[in-house]
Amino acid sequence: MSNKLISLAEAVRRFSWDGMQYASGAALPIGSDAIIFGRELLRQKRKDLHAIFHCSGQQLNLLAAAGAATKAECGFAALEVVGFANGLRRAVESGRLALEDFSNLAMTLRLLGGALNWPFVPATVNIGSDLQDRSAFSPDDYPARSKIPAVIDPFSGKTIGAFCPLKPDVAAIHVTLADANGNAILIGTEWSRYELSRAAKKVVLIADAIVDPACIRQFPNLVRIPDIIVDAVVYWPFGAWPHSSPGVYDMDEEHMFFMNKALASEQGTADYIRDFVQNYSDIESYLDMIGRDKIKTLSASNSSFLLDPYRRWILTPQDVASLTARDLAA
Amino acid sequence: MSAALDYTRQEMMAIATGREIRDGELAIFGVGLSMLAGFFAQANHAPNLRSMTEGGVYGATPVGGLPWGIECNRLAVNATSFTSALDALGFLVASGRCDVGVIGAAQVDKFGNVNTTGVWDGEIGPHYRAPKTRLPGAGGANDIACGAKRFIVMVTHEPKRFAEKATYISSPGYLDGGLSRAKQGFVGGGPSAIITTLGILRPEPDTNEFVLDGWFPFSSVEEIKANTGWALRVAPDAREIAAPSETELANLRKVDETGALRKK
Repeated sequence: MSNKLISLAEAVRRFSWDGMQYASGAALPIGSDAIIFGRELLRQKRKDLHAIFHCSGQQLNLLAAAGAATKAECGFAALEVVGFANGLRRAVESGRLALEDFSNLAMTLRLLGGALNWPFVPATVNIGSDLQDRSAFSPDDYPARSKIPAVIDPFSGKTIGAFCPLKPDVAAIHVTLADANGNAILIGTEWSRYELSRAAKKVVLIADAIVDPACIRQFPNLVRIPDIIVDAVVYWPFGAWPHSSPGVYDMDEEHMFFMNKALASEQGTADYIRDFVQNYSDIESYLDMIGRDKIKTLSASNSSFLLDPYRRWILTPQDVASLTARDLAA
Repeated sequence: MSAALDYTRQEMMAIATGREIRDGELAIFGVGLSMLAGFFAQANHAPNLRSMTEGGVYGATPVGGLPWGIECNRLAVNATSFTSALDALGFLVASGRCDVGVIGAAQVDKFGNVNTTGVWDGEIGPHYRAPKTRLPGAGGANDIACGAKRFIVMVTHEPKRFAEKATYISSPGYLDGGLSRAKQGFVGGGPSAIITTLGILRPEPDTNEFVLDGWFPFSSVEEIKANTGWALRVAPDAREIAAPSETELANLRKVDETGALRKK
């Protein structure tokens, strides 16, 4: 076991590059997601990203609006009750971004296939519809043969489909709690974070809180992402903002609508990046940017009781900073 | 009898959808209005409904109004289990265990095929091309349409949404009608009803073409036909659907605390 706590800037420097397959998108559109990692990708001017998001939320909305992602594969691509994802829409409708349409189960199964190193995954969903017949990545292939090719089930003789497994270069996964070694506990639904953490070649955790390893030893059954598959841990409170993190903070309704409205235009996106991507230098100034009153309101979540069993092991920001500093010195 | 109740078309649609859901069933709801319809059923006549969301929130009922999404803390606050998409959409839906699902639609055609992917000007043609308007995509609806024993499509009744043929099939209904869905071998049975802001359509036996089964008290056969983009036929036993009862409306409004369905 080793201390894998590094700073956000360091994680993005070390674990991202232009043109990579970048996976994120933890829990459906308004849930826990490593949005702060996406902001840092923009700060470090990464481009031509091939985004693999189980479901897209504000992170892919932002990366698409900013022109940093040119390809994307995902299931649900909107913001649920908050509305359509304006930045992503603009990129798709203008042809700047090719968005390959799959269902939510298909994305999970493809990650599972990648994790198991399967050659393909049998598809009993997405077949027989335009999800199978039309491909944004191979527009001339119609009806598409390369996206979900038909295969024969050797046992029944029936025709089904074949999903292509996913092995993203890097996954930035938002988790509620992690120890410095990279053992993580997720509060709320996993969506496909379990499969994603095994499918990706490199895994970076973005944690709302860092806990003492004693917490992990108290709840080993709840550790769905173990340290042995994790490359780096980043501590960043409100890393999923403006999305929610069950047990820790609620969705920021006001900013969700504000951000989506901004991403609807080039100018709005530029202003958003100036004000909410470039406008902080560390965790403290990031929290100032969100607003301390807002932080207080969002933290007073009805779901806070979900965090109660773990609170006694949560490290203070000072403890976390000293652990992080030690890593940098090493 | 009480005096005429004041309710919206959206509320009637949600109540009519909820009436389709039976006590004890294993049911999956999407976000938004379909979730309200499902939780209305639970509050009204199906207390033993086993509900889940596609991300794996089980046993929850919304607190504080319509959840912003299925991962919203308004649901997380009283869940009995948090699992995963593989569990909900895979083990419980793709397996064939799920009794009923409710999905929405931007466009639905006469065989119950659903488009939630995009709006194109005219047909897409032999090459894929970007839509004029990109919509949310298939999400979990395709998985529900393929795997649930039956599913209900809930949709605002407007001509542009009711097409002879869906521009893009995101979630399969009966495909080209007749036996064409059966040939795909899906474990799920297909759409059992299209419930709209004006009435209820159901598939005709054999052809699997959707025909008018009933109209709401404020609507009529003529109004529904005028708002349907294909030559809608009327079932021989089509009838007026009962208005919401006082109890139904009260139960729906308990779930729809923030009045999402009351906006006219």
